[in-house]
Amino acid sequence: MTLNSVVETDFPEEFVEEMEKSNDALPRKIDANPKNVEKGLAKLVLTLIELIRKLLEKQAMRRVEAGSLSDEQIENVGETLMKLENKMEELKGIFGLKDEELNLNLGPLGDLM
Amino acid sequence: MKLYTYSIIDSSKQITEPIYGLEGACVYNIPYCDIGAVVSEFTESVQSKTEDGVLAHEEVIERLMESFAVLPVRFHTVFDGRDGILSMMRSYYKDFRNNLDRLRNKVEFGIKVIWPSDKIKEHLINTYKKDNEKVSIPDDSSNKRFIKKKFEEYRIDEEFEKKANKFIKVMDMFFSKFAAEKKLKKLKTENLLLDGVYLVERGKQDDFKEAFEHIKGPHTGAGFKFLFSGPWPPYNFVILPKKSDLLEDSEQKDLFDKVIQHQDLVGADKI
Amino acid sequence: MHNVVTKSKDVTLLEVLDRVLEKGVIISGDMVISVADVDLIYLGLKVLLSSVETMEKLRGSPFISPMQEAR
Repeated sequence: MTLNSVVETDFPEEFVEEMEKSNDALPRKIDANPKNVEKGLAKLVLTLIELIRKLLEKQAMRRVEAGSLSDEQIENVGETLMKLENKMEELKGIFGLKDEELNLNLGPLGDLM
Repeated sequence: MKLYTYSIIDSSKQITEPIYGLEGACVYNIPYCDIGAVVSEFTESVQSKTEDGVLAHEEVIERLMESFAVLPVRFHTVFDGRDGILSMMRSYYKDFRNNLDRLRNKVEFGIKVIWPSDKIKEHLINTYKKDNEKVSIPDDSSNKRFIKKKFEEYRIDEEFEKKANKFIKVMDMFFSKFAAEKKLKKLKTENLLLDGVYLVERGKQDDFKEAFEHIKGPHTGAGFKFLFSGPWPPYNFVILPKKSDLLEDSEQKDLFDKVIQHQDLVGADKI
Repeated sequence: MHNVVTKSKDVTLLEVLDRVLEKGVIISGDMVISVADVDLIYLGLKVLLSSVETMEKLRGSPFISPMQEAR
């Protein structure tokens, strides 16, 4: 079976690795098999929470950059972001999920991040 | 008899040369007005969602592409019978017609670029450290230290993206010269700088390839890796109205009820 | 991805799969709506919630594992 279209590259394995990594994002189908549904649900929910957390972090960084935060505010934001990050690590641990699994490929909304 | 659908073509005539698709069945054209849907009879008795099935599907479309303008249909689109196909064609006729006219004599090429992201990050980190030797962000508490660390990461990420944009701009400038349309995804992963698809007129294929080689040559030494694929049927350039825009609340509910019944979608066979 | 059985991690196959499974003409032949990534997520959520509801109906109460029910 031969195709007319050809894939040319000197580094096939490297591209396979990157392509598979980028497919780890939100699955198009959720497996509703009872054994897996909780993990699938967790992955979905945590991905969204992670998105919000990253947006919050980015907003904070923008304000630090603009110099519009007081000493006290920096202190508070630091504490909050740290707690959020720790909580996220905890949740990831509970459900056995890794960072790559929670990577949401936003497509046209990608620039939000 | 179920009908497996491969592609929409800009012809209402019969297909005279033998082209074989899934299950070794011969494909034929179901005409509607001045276009047609190319199908083959499908029993689905054997598992066809396999590598071989996918390649058979692709091969049919590429054969068709030799003689017609094609709108490739997604893998495993199966209709219950002729009536379903004809009614589908009636709903989409205008869209199909427009796409066929736009895509005639054009093929798709894919270009992927991996860049040395580790090296680039390292360079950016060194630059940041140098630039910030004098500046001090307060770090007299663990919270402030956290912010300082996050800020450094943020700045480096921003510069990282800026660098990516610069490289992509240069490369895309070359590739676009011979492309009618394009779709670019930047930094799908840290390493995958660019995942682009370009729609190129048949007559300009060689020029396009040459433009690619022009970029590939000088960049390869610097740790960039390239992938070039094609000519593909124009999968990425078919524009159809998004169904979700057209659905009302009640329609959505009906749709979701149907979806629940359709076990394939959620793999709920075991329930 | 669409339950396609694949063994090889071949770059050509991946390129083909990316096109034939996700792109091209996607019509309600098998009830999956072609939309931009964001809408598909939205659809996915509702489908997920619907399927969880169905599960609850079938099993009688939320999230009791099959093992417990068997007792």
